Amino acid sequence: MKSRALRVLALAAGASLTFAVAGCGSGGADDGTTTVSFLSWTGQEQMEPMIEAFQEANPDVRIEASYAPPVAEYIQTLQTRVLSGTAPDVFVVAAENKTNLIQSGAVVDLTGEPFMEGVQSFNLDTYGSDGAQYGLSLSSWAAGYAYNEDMLAEVGYDGIPETWDEFLTMLQKLKDAGHTPFLESVDQMPTTVSAMLGAQTAQMDPAMDELIFSGESTFAEQWTPILEDYNQLYTEDLVSSDVVALDGDQVRDEFANERVAVINAGPWIINAVEEANPDLNWSFAQVPGRDGGMPFQAGAAAPGYAISANADEETQAAAKTFLTWLASEDGVQMFHEATNDVTVTDNFQPEVNPVFEPLVEPIREGELYLPMISWQRDEDRLNIEVVAQIQRMIQGAVSPEQVASALDSQLSGS
Amino acid sequence: MLTLVSRNSPAAPSGNRRRRSIEGGWKQITINRAFLLPAVVVFVFLFIIPLAQGFYWSLTDFTGYNPEANFIGMANYAEILRDPSMLSALAFTVLFAVGTTVIVTCLAIPLAVQLNKVFLGRNFVRSLWFFPAVPSMAILGLVWSYILSPLPSGVLNTTLNNWFGIDAVSWLSDNSLARMSVILVGVWAQVGWHAVLYVAYLQAIPTEYYEVAKIDGASARQQFFSITLPLLTPAMVISSFLLLTGGLKVFELPYTLTNGGPGFATNTITQALITSGVSQGRYGLASALAVMFTIVVAIVGFSQLKVTTMISRRFS
Repeated sequence: MKSRALRVLALAAGASLTFAVAGCGSGGADDGTTTVSFLSWTGQEQMEPMIEAFQEANPDVRIEASYAPPVAEYIQTLQTRVLSGTAPDVFVVAAENKTNLIQSGAVVDLTGEPFMEGVQSFNLDTYGSDGAQYGLSLSSWAAGYAYNEDMLAEVGYDGIPETWDEFLTMLQKLKDAGHTPFLESVDQMPTTVSAMLGAQTAQMDPAMDELIFSGESTFAEQWTPILEDYNQLYTEDLVSSDVVALDGDQVRDEFANERVAVINAGPWIINAVEEANPDLNWSFAQVPGRDGGMPFQAGAAAPGYAISANADEETQAAAKTFLTWLASEDGVQMFHEATNDVTVTDNFQPEVNPVFEPLVEPIREGELYLPMISWQRDEDRLNIEVVAQIQRMIQGAVSPEQVASALDSQLSGS
Repeated sequence: MLTLVSRNSPAAPSGNRRRRSIEGGWKQITINRAFLLPAVVVFVFLFIIPLAQGFYWSLTDFTGYNPEANFIGMANYAEILRDPSMLSALAFTVLFAVGTTVIVTCLAIPLAVQLNKVFLGRNFVRSLWFFPAVPSMAILGLVWSYILSPLPSGVLNTTLNNWFGIDAVSWLSDNSLARMSVILVGVWAQVGWHAVLYVAYLQAIPTEYYEVAKIDGASARQQFFSITLPLLTPAMVISSFLLLTGGLKVFELPYTLTNGGPGFATNTITQALITSGVSQGRYGLASALAVMFTIVVAIVGFSQLKVTTMISRRFS
């Protein structure tokens, strides 16, 4: 009797476990719905209303969302799931993992899909390789300079000059007037360097990184003149070398409290600055051009939505339905309202804060450059090396040429 | 002569009793050892197998995305030894571990002696010292990055300027000062916890020893070096072992306080491991670094145990 009871209990436990496991999986169900698992990079608060709206419009597809915050935790979570064969059906491909995901065949080729048509080609190319496109990137970001209009007016300027030499002259005048003229956080790739490199590569054909990664040119050849110009900020004592220990938040707080005239910044500082100092007169501008070159901005396409190559055909079809809705006018509008990102699709015109207006057109035109996105391999490795070496250059420990050569060494050693 | 520690060795069992206990106890011994099996299984599956797997990966070009990995011999190890940033990370990790161990030990013992005395608000003062050990190191790092900001508006720089007229100090933007700052914040965060550990051991020292020493005319200094310090040796062994192993694994504090900078000045092994393995998809290289780090930790750990055992014997 006891043994029989145990057998029944074991059977019940086994059955419930089977149902539980089946419930966790993706794919079709008896009620005709298809479940698509989705690992979101965007937070639950922003993403949930979008998923609900999608499911309302597409009752035959159910999105089973999980969330991991960017960047390292997201990358690690996704990496573990891809490796263990439990990759989500839809996930985000970012600068940090695009090469590995594409090269390992973990993502579906989305080239020619209807939902990719209305998206800015810059964004599609960012998450592509060899002419194929793997990520649906709906928005872009840009960073340039934020400036205090009152401080600049005090020394006779109504905005950021368009050339680098004029900009240095303005900083000197600000310094002479007793202001801290400029602060730039260098805990990441400096905005100034990215923008200068972007302006240079925009005028080249083939592009600068194609030459470097094909071995036709070197970092030393392409980067050294730009780093020399950038280093004038420090060799001419216009900016303190203490910036090597500052992060973006500290620089932003200095600006919001009117302790510095110009900083590097992107749209992510707008709310914090306006909350801290509602009376501040300020605006954004592009980074001045070198040697009569054009002003430019740092920036990149936002991470793109990709479909797992491990998903079965039915689930892939449902995942494409989800991406189609995300790229629709309703989807893009909700995405913009939830994230405040500047969207780049042709079916919706985003509204942005007026102070950021000078950088909106370049974003929608795809006039952006970020080395880490543009590099063809070893992106994170090169990025860590260049940030550390630029910090050392600012401290006076190495020359601009040595910084660029260090990148060549990293590339040749990979 | 006063004997502080006596070792009472139990009388050896007679030959017959010993034989009887073994003969009659084989079954009991087997049963007793069976209870160790779960621990052995956990040890094998969570330590030995991952360690062996890590060593295998260290000889491959495993990326973490594709399960197929090619055997590349010792290339990962050679790359680590060529990379100045990795060597810098190793050097700072050892400096942090040794620095915090020595400074915390030197500060925690006198602090514990003071906290062990009877005074008004003693429990409150003990809590105050213990508090920095409660929040995570990551939060402490973020808070201290504002305090030690090299800008004139930094909390410490503003205070120094207002009180003493000192110009802004580059706490986190100068390599040496940044290393020193990370170590000192690490000391600040841990000294209270370790002082409380020493207080627990101090309370176990019989007061009669001090009374006898006073009768013999021993000064406070003599009492400290001849009674307190020798009897704190077991606590020092535990405390220094925890500090050293914790220091070698340090990640959150330098990551949030300096992000490993300026340059690679405060980069640590754990940060290099996570960066290589997770961000760069170079699991093979990260595994090689982990294997080398395990060897370094083993050498440092065993050396520390050897030294503390020698000190224990000297005082017992």
